[in-house]
Amino acid sequence: MSVDLSHIKTNGIGVPQVEDTRICVVMVGLPARGKSLIAGKVVRYLAWLSIHAKTFNVGSYRRADTPSPTADFFSKGNKEGEKMRQAAAEAAVSDMLRWFRKDKGIVAVLDATNSSKARRRWVAERCREQDIHTIYVESKCDNEEIIMANILEVKTTSPDYKGQDPEAAALDFRNRIKNYENVYETIDEDEKDLTYVKLIDVGSQVIINQIQDYLQSRVVYYLMNLHIRPRSIWLSRHGESEFNLDGRIGGDALLSERGELYARKLPELVASSVKDGQKLTIWTSTLKRTIATARFLAASSKGYDKLEWKALDELDSGVCDGLTYQEIADQYPEDFKARDDDKYNYRYRGGESYRDVVIRLEPIIMELERSENIIIVTHQAVLRCIYAYYMNVPQEQSPWMEVPLHTLIKLTPRAYGTEEQRFKANIPAVSTFRSKGSTAKHQ
Amino acid sequence: MDTLLTADVAARNPRERRRSSTYVDAIHDMPENGELAPAQLYSTESGRLFHSGRIVIVTVGLPARGKTHLSVALARYLRWLGVKTQVFHLGDYRRAHVGPGKDVPEDYFHVDASPASVLMRQKILKKCRDDIYFFLNNEKGQVAIYDAVNPLAAGRRSLAKEFSKHDAQTLFIESACDDEKIIEENVRSVKISSPDYIGWDEKDAVKHYLARMRAKIPHFETMEEPDLNYIKMINAGERITVNNCTFGYLSHRIVFYLLNLHIKSRHTYFARAGTSSEEDSYKADANLSEQGAEYARKMGETLLAHRDKERQAMIHRGGPDVPLKPLTVWTSTRRRTVETSQYLYEKGYRVRQRSQMSQLNPGVCEKKSEKRIRMEYPDEVAKHEQDPYHHRYPRAEVSDDLSGCNRWADGLMGWLSRIMISQSA
Repeated sequence: MSVDLSHIKTNGIGVPQVEDTRICVVMVGLPARGKSLIAGKVVRYLAWLSIHAKTFNVGSYRRADTPSPTADFFSKGNKEGEKMRQAAAEAAVSDMLRWFRKDKGIVAVLDATNSSKARRRWVAERCREQDIHTIYVESKCDNEEIIMANILEVKTTSPDYKGQDPEAAALDFRNRIKNYENVYETIDEDEKDLTYVKLIDVGSQVIINQIQDYLQSRVVYYLMNLHIRPRSIWLSRHGESEFNLDGRIGGDALLSERGELYARKLPELVASSVKDGQKLTIWTSTLKRTIATARFLAASSKGYDKLEWKALDELDSGVCDGLTYQEIADQYPEDFKARDDDKYNYRYRGGESYRDVVIRLEPIIMELERSENIIIVTHQAVLRCIYAYYMNVPQEQSPWMEVPLHTLIKLTPRAYGTEEQRFKANIPAVSTFRSKGSTAKHQ
Repeated sequence: MDTLLTADVAARNPRERRRSSTYVDAIHDMPENGELAPAQLYSTESGRLFHSGRIVIVTVGLPARGKTHLSVALARYLRWLGVKTQVFHLGDYRRAHVGPGKDVPEDYFHVDASPASVLMRQKILKKCRDDIYFFLNNEKGQVAIYDAVNPLAAGRRSLAKEFSKHDAQTLFIESACDDEKIIEENVRSVKISSPDYIGWDEKDAVKHYLARMRAKIPHFETMEEPDLNYIKMINAGERITVNNCTFGYLSHRIVFYLLNLHIKSRHTYFARAGTSSEEDSYKADANLSEQGAEYARKMGETLLAHRDKERQAMIHRGGPDVPLKPLTVWTSTRRRTVETSQYLYEKGYRVRQRSQMSQLNPGVCEKKSEKRIRMEYPDEVAKHEQDPYHHRYPRAEVSDDLSGCNRWADGLMGWLSRIMISQSA
């Protein structure tokens, strides 16, 4: 008996990657404890890893009926308010369960206070009916400073207080929190059969209970690496290389003359965007062109530490390494077209796809979340993947993004979304951007 | 892993460092070339990961809570990550001090011990700690695991203080247990195999051992010190409390490791891919040769037959007549590994492609004979001969990349799989 191998694909298309379990991440905590921030980051991280994830925010369901409630709406005695809040939770959970069924969801995040034990049991029961595991993530914080900062930064821009005086809004919001405090029950011994993570005072203590599987432990590991200290990440491609001039991809070429100029200018460019006294760490790939680009920055008097990561090497183009796009189109016409049709999943023969690059970058992202100020000098495809994580760029778009040479990008993560600044070195370079279907050397 | 068995071995060892008594376990028997960490994330002048610093991991917990098991497992994991790690079992120093067949005085662990006992304790501690400092200062060590009971909060505080004077951070790992069954199982499997209990009834031996320990170490305070860095593992990982451990990369990795340590038992089978039609080229990513396809079928058949035999054996031993746990096949994304899994795929087993499992990329050395490599890259060859493990030919991957953070570490944790088909590395 011989085995039929004709249909096997290794270029990443048509390979189902089914997860073993589906989980509902249930947020728990008083208002202004950073629940939505955590929920947003978890969903963004999982989506970047191609794990189908979505947030269901109970507040937005409640808002449909009660757009701008006062604090009184949330008080224990307000029967009408309680009823409407229960209805909102019902609607959100029903939608979530439908999403698991119909849209083949893998991880849902239920973003609400879920402040009573009864409510948490109820969510667990509803999920169990559909064989979905629950993991509770409680953010518990008694540090007044952090709470106040949260209230001011996030909540006064909340849709609930649209168009209201910020001071009055903050006051009303404090009262709302007080009303929640009256019914709030932290996760305790009664719930030791549940899978949960309790983050106390932004991670100064973490309690992890009954982790059942790998996907859950991944989420927990990610949560533990998050911090809220202000920081930025600088991204730069290497300076123009000799291969860039020829329009060749891959390789391990040295810098062109203009690339060399960029390397010399990089310390100044970085200095202009760094606050005094901020300490940076430099990360490069193991290829000559990124190491050369960072060498003046590394040698500057600032005393920055430097690391070379293999994981930051350029996407491996396999048999096409060292070719121009025209040569690829001539020698591998089918591949050239297949790559244009689905650039994210297309894997070069004997090389990598964007999807592969994301997988090898995952530890880098974890390390970035944990670190503070980092400058990464790397390559076009790798930079697109890292950028896509921070800016939440969908997979169909990220491989086609334009990331010009000789430009420094500064990303600053904020509570909701990431701020971006670009600094041009004003040193000319060829464009390495290629639009769909084109084989042009430089556009 | 029995601590009692090794006492005489430790006694004969000039620096008290443990050698495993029965077999080479690669944890207590350091490789001849001590400078060679198995696989580093990146290399630095000092031989340490610079974003982690020096750490002393201190175990906390009563006997039979799996401290030694934990320290050995952690050491293995950290070394595999490329972190130079050494375990120091205080029990070995204690046994070496009193000599074979003897025990420390009854009040040795007591809070109100006699001056003679206190003096002995201090002597033993000093010896062990001197070895730790020697390892950190003179052997480029990065993580020392100090395996001892450390029952009292006051003692732990002063330990942390002392280590910080030596420029090392302290991370306590407590192994706690409120489930008597787990404790008894532990005693049964590692503690009562010692000569003391030969001829004893198992149940009586367990009881006797636990009673002896309770008398020996009557005071124990579980970790609740808010100012110390600690990880508390309860009931082999059912619950984990992490306190104040925001200081670094390694503590997070350790927690992640511990989270996965207890997850259900399973078997993992390894198989290499069949031979391909273009065996010497990495880039070509060639199909299986006829011979390779034949191998794939036979390998699949053999595996399934083996699993069936296992199941029958289980039933024979009185186990339940239930299907085996599901088998998942992991392959790399390289063609011949996927093709090797084809037989199993057709039998209905789930196949997952994992890019972390690809063969090492030979870089510029692809398809080149040794002679040609020597001619074209004389400098690289010289570097390679000096440090074959860490050296990287231009654009090539080294074993570091596989085991370091870069490719494997994360994938490995999620071994739901049971067979992995991979190429040689």
